[in-house]
Amino acid sequence: MLKNNLKIAFRALSKNKVYTFVTFFGLTVGVAAALLIFRMLSYELSYNKSFENHDRMVRVVSEQTLPQEGESYTVCVPIPAMDVIMDEVPQFEKITRVKEFWVTTSLPDPNGGPPLKKFNMETDQTAFFTEPAFFDIFQPEWIIGGPAEILSEPGVIILTESFASKFYDDPAQAMGQTLVLDNVVEVEVKGIIKDFHDQTDFPVPFLSSWETMKAHRNYFFYDENMGSCSSNNQLFGLLKSQDQLEEANTVLAGISEKLYRRENQNSFRKHVLQPMSALHFDERYGHSGTHRTSMSRLRILGIVGILILIMACFNFINLATAQASLRAKEVGVRKTLGSSKRQLISQFLTETALIVFGALIFGLVLASLCLPLLQRISHVPEGINLFSDPQVWLFLGGLSILVTLLAGLYPSLVLSRFKPIRALRNQVPGNLSGGVALRKSLVVLQFVVAQGLVIGAIITLLQLDYIRSRDLGFSDDLVYTFGIGIDSSTLEKQLPLKQAFLEIPTVEKVSFNSDQPLSGNTWSSNFRYDTRPEDEQFSINLKFADTDYRETFGLSLVAGQWYEKSDTVRQCVVNETLLRKLGVERAQDAVGKSLRLGASRKVEITGVVEDFHTHSLHQEHDPLMITTRKAYYWEAGAKIRPGNIQGTLSAMQKAFDEILPEQVFEGRFLDENIAEFYADEDRLATTCKAFGLLAILISCLGLFGLAAHSAQQRVKEIGVRKVLGASTTGIVGLLSRDFLKLVLIALLVAAPLAWFLMQRWLDNFAYRIDIQWWVFVVTGGLAVLVAFLTISYQSLRAAMANPVDSLRNE
Amino acid sequence: MIKTNDLNKVYQTDEVETTALHQVNIEIKQGEFVSVMGPSGCGKSTLLNVLGMIDGPTSGEYLFNGEEIGHLSERKRSEIRKHNLGFVFQSFNLIDELTVFENVELPMLYTKVPSGERKKRVEELLEGMNIMHRRNHFPQQLSGGQQQRVAVARAIVNRPKLILADEPTGNLDSSNGDEVMKILSELNAEGTTVLMVTHSQYCAEFGNRIIRMLDGQVVTENVVKQYL
Repeated sequence: MLKNNLKIAFRALSKNKVYTFVTFFGLTVGVAAALLIFRMLSYELSYNKSFENHDRMVRVVSEQTLPQEGESYTVCVPIPAMDVIMDEVPQFEKITRVKEFWVTTSLPDPNGGPPLKKFNMETDQTAFFTEPAFFDIFQPEWIIGGPAEILSEPGVIILTESFASKFYDDPAQAMGQTLVLDNVVEVEVKGIIKDFHDQTDFPVPFLSSWETMKAHRNYFFYDENMGSCSSNNQLFGLLKSQDQLEEANTVLAGISEKLYRRENQNSFRKHVLQPMSALHFDERYGHSGTHRTSMSRLRILGIVGILILIMACFNFINLATAQASLRAKEVGVRKTLGSSKRQLISQFLTETALIVFGALIFGLVLASLCLPLLQRISHVPEGINLFSDPQVWLFLGGLSILVTLLAGLYPSLVLSRFKPIRALRNQVPGNLSGGVALRKSLVVLQFVVAQGLVIGAIITLLQLDYIRSRDLGFSDDLVYTFGIGIDSSTLEKQLPLKQAFLEIPTVEKVSFNSDQPLSGNTWSSNFRYDTRPEDEQFSINLKFADTDYRETFGLSLVAGQWYEKSDTVRQCVVNETLLRKLGVERAQDAVGKSLRLGASRKVEITGVVEDFHTHSLHQEHDPLMITTRKAYYWEAGAKIRPGNIQGTLSAMQKAFDEILPEQVFEGRFLDENIAEFYADEDRLATTCKAFGLLAILISCLGLFGLAAHSAQQRVKEIGVRKVLGASTTGIVGLLSRDFLKLVLIALLVAAPLAWFLMQRWLDNFAYRIDIQWWVFVVTGGLAVLVAFLTISYQSLRAAMANPVDSLRNE
Repeated sequence: MIKTNDLNKVYQTDEVETTALHQVNIEIKQGEFVSVMGPSGCGKSTLLNVLGMIDGPTSGEYLFNGEEIGHLSERKRSEIRKHNLGFVFQSFNLIDELTVFENVELPMLYTKVPSGERKKRVEELLEGMNIMHRRNHFPQQLSGGQQQRVAVARAIVNRPKLILADEPTGNLDSSNGDEVMKILSELNAEGTTVLMVTHSQYCAEFGNRIIRMLDGQVVTENVVKQYL
């Protein structure tokens, strides 16, 4: 029977080519989209799962509600608090301190010359100073060396295989060698471990011991002060059992109360546990590794994938039920000859399964061809192969059953319910009138999704355009930024390096600083203004920079002047937002006043700088102070003149290598750094665009099939109308009107939905566009136009046919 | 074989009630060839459909081989139908997607006849009907007469006890019509009961009894030739 069903299915499908093409092509596109989204989701959802104990691994993080600044979340734990937590939380089986750090690693020349090899860490990599328990928690695999206890000694480093192979062809040769971190810290290679899995938030190139850091406490800002909290200092633990999370949190709440609560103070820092399984998806905390992904974004992606697939199934249902009348006779004959309902259902499901099977194979091929697109809308790396991924095949297997049932079950039920007597007379059963309503509803739903996605795409693109074209308050044009060491020898060479750069005719200005104007870093401090007796109720953000910072980055002063040259904190400029928050009305009034940071001495305000964006446009302007402190200048920016950019960079490289041979000259243009801040939005816009177009394509395919069916059904009516004098335009209008009405109804549903969702998305931005009415008009117009073009081919064909033929056929 | 008692069939739409069969009492014995005649709309096709179990009566009794089946579920009627009845329609009702061979084979798939047996029976019938050379053709590639011969082959392939023919020559020219009538007569001669609806007096006379209907009722019954 199956063979027979397959044979008939194949013949039935080849007989009706339009129907087969529309359903097959639609499903292929739907399957490809679903596959790509599945790959994205499975990639993100498997993050950090490679750690054997991932279900028991946790990170201790901090939460605090500040009166003026709202909720604050950070991964930092003050070092004295770490000691208490390590001793007093019995639910931990193991616990380890970690300090993230970023350095240049070099292989010194035994003869005292420049280093033989030197490497910066790759973007998004972070190295750890840590303790032996790290091995119990993260369980890296030794290749050579060990045991973990070597991490209790100072001056040791454990390299990952790939990092070791940068220095030696055979990584084992690195064992016992001395490497230098930032030209300051000498470490001996005591072990080689396998690389961490790609899908982890901890792409660690090497580990060093906590004691190594303590031995260079000033250089690595090791601070045992309870008031000092750096997000680089983190605490990871392994729970005895994963059910003990709540118990451990209760203990932590008690510890937090003891450590941080002061009299009459309601808001204080609280430590809680962040499970490893949540770490990749929790956007409240900053991230190591390449990126964070919010669960809500993954859910939206999943929903989009399901919707696209369902839309393709709708085409199937629509066309199959529309075509039901053409199959009525066959059903009647089969029933008369003794076919049961079940046999008919199985026959029609076989037809669906045949299309679905073909669509799955072609969908897989199409998805593979579209993999480069996936890299534009997600973090999925290059070089993945869908064909060799067992998860993909499992997904396809599940999909084949799901789609066959979703698309085929309803039409099969409709067809198999035909009464043989009526079916033989080719009388469309009464329940197909309900089918018309269903078809219309499904078309409306398809266009709701399609237009919703298009509206989303337009709004994200407008917001991105707004972000990109907004005056940031500084110049991001042709400023090359790069990192630089802050060891004493490098600090001494800053001036010669600046002079060497300025001798290059195309280099205009050079500034050493702690931060670019717009960055992801935040340095903040409590402070008090002028002679006020108490600290302000909000903190102030800090940037440290030399006197050339203003001209290098094109900042504007609104009052006073830039501070004078100094190696320590002496004078500062502040921004307009600070004055507004302080209640100082005239900028000039602040000049000459002072700020006191924490318990340190007073810093004189020499000028007020016009507000510029220090963070992405998601955030409002923060109160800011820019001051000097040479020891913190680990970044530099060089403003260069347009023209021979490559030549300028080569000249800079040459000068850098001559003056700082032990360091690596590696940087990016400022506008590239800024673009990186909106990479997520860029991906979202591309996703909406891509899937919006797909949704329109699938909807139009369905519409094309239905229009063909409708024209076929109304062939006699068209013939009679033509004989009675109807024009071609009139008939095209008649056939198109009903469908276009559906597209407009869909717009009425999609517009408020999309408006609501996009308003919520825009609320994430402190600086955002207002949604304009024309977005909906353009989307509706576009949808109507595309729908009309789709239908008009069929309508025109029907309208231009000779009425004699259609009437004779009748 | 067939006996009806006060059989009624009423079609009901929202506003109109149409009586298609009214108090029909007929009896057909095993081995008979009964023709049903009457003007269009008199209910003869409805009678055939009810007796063929592809439509149910509104009221009354329908006994098939002594068993009341008029009010059985569609599933049970389908079971009885596929083992006992064969249908021949005016418009052939062959399935366009199936070849001649497959069309004839189809009823045996539903009665689960083994594949070898199916092949044997189909080939025998196609040889007998003189259309073996067309076995791999599709219905659209055949003449009307050939299509109806395929339809007859399909109707008898399961060796039914009763053949129901609804104007089997209605779409055929006279020579092809004669050929079909000849086949039906031969089948009857071999013992198969035939109930045929027709407009044609000529065809009706191939049967041994003619039932005439008007307005849903049986008005006369004539014996054409003695049933043996």
